[in-house]
Formats: sequence, structure tokens, C-alpha cells
Amino acid sequence: MDSRFVSTISGYAKYKGGKGLLAFLLHRITGLGTLLFLTVHITMTSLVYIYAPLYTRLVEIFQWPVIMFIEILLVFCVIYHGANGLRIATIDLFKPRWLQERNSTRAMLITLVVAIILWLPAAGVMGYNMLKYGFGLFGGE
Amino acid sequence: MTTTENTPKFVRYESTPWKWMRYSAFLLIPLAWGHVLIQDILVGGHGINLDYVAMRWSLVGWRVYDFFLLAFAFAHGMNGLRQVLFDYVLSARKRHLLAWLLFALWLLISALGAIALIGGVKP
Repeated sequence: MDSRFVSTISGYAKYKGGKGLLAFLLHRITGLGTLLFLTVHITMTSLVYIYAPLYTRLVEIFQWPVIMFIEILLVFCVIYHGANGLRIATIDLFKPRWLQERNSTRAMLITLVVAIILWLPAAGVMGYNMLKYGFGLFGGE
Repeated sequence: MTTTENTPKFVRYESTPWKWMRYSAFLLIPLAWGHVLIQDILVGGHGINLDYVAMRWSLVGWRVYDFFLLAFAFAHGMNGLRQVLFDYVLSARKRHLLAWLLFALWLLISALGAIALIGGVKP
């Protein structure tokens, strides 16, 4: 691995930049996670036109319990990345004065809490579906 | 930001994707969150199959929705990946190569998605 990459990652781990840095890291990780899924998702969905039998086979794989669990995490990625992105875009385009070092910890925590509050009901519904359709609980198959 | 002739080339070009990441963010909140709400939460992975896609795409409005989602979400994501990688790749030559590689990948995957959106379900 590139030593610059290693030193960057270990630098992030040691950096005393406050919780604002955690927002930066979470934004990157959730964004890259979403992009990885999106690449697979678009390619897979294109099979409905290109080769439908393979789409049907892959959709069955996407209903495995482990994939359903990853899907719950993916939804968190989309919600957090969206909430934090909305904060960044609003500050950068309309309210640059809101961006202050002393607010960074609070801003990061508020964004994280908002994302978790939005995610919990979604995770509940998806978790129920995972147990029902993935594990056969609650009268599922 | 006002750009002048003295503004470095990098800043002049990089401010355009910088702005578009933020414009597309506002568009992607309803587009991507709406898509996740419908497909992952209300319908759920267990309810999605070939017939469901055919039913959904029988309405042109959903194809237009998905087209905007494809155009904005994937371009936003690929440019984000470029920005992340540019933090680690500093040589101009490697950045140039990387940017073209990512552009080619973006074009390929977007074309696949667009072909399916236009062609529809073909069992």
C-alpha cells in the first residue's frame, strides 16, 4: 500500500481536530460505501434489459439475510451522507458565516443524531422484513 | 468566487465540480431519499423482482425520475471518488490518467443504466 495513504489514515486517527474531523471521515466513508453499492446496483438493474434471467438470479441473492443486513447499513450511509451533505451545501452556498471552528463538535453531533433518528424507524421496518423474509419469523417464508 | 486571469488553472476548473457537488446535493435529497424510502423501506428487497420493475417502469414518470437519479447520483458519486483519490494522488500525470479512467467508468455504467431505462424490461 502507498505509504502516503497509510500516513494519511494514521494521521486522521491521531489528528486532534475535534469532532468535525469525524464528520469529514463519516462523510467520506458513507459516500464511498454508497458509490460502491450504486455501481453494483446500476449494473445489475441494467440486466433487466440486457439479460433478464441473470437479473432474476441476482435479485434472489440480494434477498439473503446477510445482504438485507448490509442494506440496513447502506440506508444509514445514504441518510447520514445526505444530512451532512445538506449541512455542507447550505453553509458553503448560503451561510458561510455559520462555519466556525468552535461550532464543529456540536454541528457534527447534531447531524449524527438527526441521521440516527431518521434511520431508526427505517432500520426497524427493514429489520422486521429481514427477520420475516430472511429468517422465516412472524409467519414469513 | 470571482476568477481572474491570475487565478491558477486548477482553481478555475475545480470550482465548477465543487459547485455542482453542492447543487446536486439539494437535488439528491428528494431523489435519493425518496428512492430509498420507496424501494428499501416501503416495498423492501423481498418485494423486488422483474415484474415489479416492469410495473414501475410502465409509468413514464418513474423512468424520468430514475433518469434524473442516475444522472445526478452516479456523477456526484464518481466525482466524489475523484476528489477523495486526488487527496492521495498528487502527481499531475497520474491525476490526469485517473480522471480519464473515472470518466470512462462513469460513462460506461451510466450508459448501461440509460440503455435499461430506455429499453425497459425485456424478459
